[in-house]
Amino acid sequence: MTAQTTLQQAMPHQAPPHQAPPHQAMIDEWYPVGLVSQLDRSGRHTALMGEPIVVSGDDAGNPLVTGGNGRILPVKVRYGHVWSSLGTPTKDIFSIPEADQPGRRFVDVGVVRVRCSPLRAVENFLDIAHFPFVHTDVLGAEPHTEVQNYTAEIRADVDEVWATQVKFYQPQASKSASGGITTEYMYRVPAPTCSVLYKTCPPRPSEWDVITLFVQPLAEDLCDVWPWMALFDDETSMTDLIHFQQMIFLQDRSILENQIPRLLPLDPGMEIPTRADLTSIAYRRWLKRHDYTYGAQLVAR
Amino acid sequence: MTILGDLGAASFLPWIRRHADRLGLAQTVSHADDERIELELDGPEELIDMMEVGCLLGPIDVWVETIGREPLAVQTS
Repeated sequence: MTAQTTLQQAMPHQAPPHQAPPHQAMIDEWYPVGLVSQLDRSGRHTALMGEPIVVSGDDAGNPLVTGGNGRILPVKVRYGHVWSSLGTPTKDIFSIPEADQPGRRFVDVGVVRVRCSPLRAVENFLDIAHFPFVHTDVLGAEPHTEVQNYTAEIRADVDEVWATQVKFYQPQASKSASGGITTEYMYRVPAPTCSVLYKTCPPRPSEWDVITLFVQPLAEDLCDVWPWMALFDDETSMTDLIHFQQMIFLQDRSILENQIPRLLPLDPGMEIPTRADLTSIAYRRWLKRHDYTYGAQLVAR
Repeated sequence: MTILGDLGAASFLPWIRRHADRLGLAQTVSHADDERIELELDGPEELIDMMEVGCLLGPIDVWVETIGREPLAVQTS
């Protein structure tokens, strides 16, 4: 199936009278739709939740996002990306305080298109158990396959999913790492298709490296993944930083595109989740709580 | 295992039985109402852990707020 046919099949349904459109909760969220550094007048022709959109910039560099029928969509610039929404967002884009911290290098990794549910892409990012098997000898290695106990929760005060005290042995935790170390992670999900990873920073042990996954939902089973990083690393070239992260996401892509079912199940009836999956379970509970169901399978089949 | 939440959906008890069967756990429901289900499980602790993790999410029409666990008295000869 081509990307084009997938997009056409995923056009939003018309809601019956007196009924909220399906996926209204997700329609009203902000999503990444392009890199600020790549804005031009001709525009990037892409899609958001099945609707064709164009992301362009004027001569002054101001972004403009138009929907399928020419309507002007909300737009914001944050973390090197242009963000837009098909609806009326009631909240601002989530905060990443490290984005304002002096001394960090900000890395626009670019885009990786993945034929999977946007929610699946986030869930995969939250899963450390696959490291030794998918990112072998980089983010994990046998026999260090055990996931130690960690904490995963929905934080009511900020309405986000957090996983903390996640520790894992990694042969090469980052481009700047010179050997194997036990890396500590914290995961955060502040928006339905975005995750922020805080990771041990080898050159500066008192700080966290920040690696984000911003996912643009093109359709329920197709997405563009926009990784972005805020790192303390004065030595590695920008090209090497980008190539390292792209290599990781390309390894993930082959797994993601073969997952069955393609949508993310919100009923674990056909799966046997374990303690190692607690972050994924917290994420799915949070999606369910907010009716964030675009890209989700509601009933186990 | 005590499950608390918005559990009124008729789908939940059959879902619990199916999930326990899939894990090979013996199970008895000793109490069930719209807000609380008390479930006695017998089997390896790791599998009971998996039962707890699965129930935390549960079927789409159920909201599980918390799950508590305590060991039952073990009869010894």
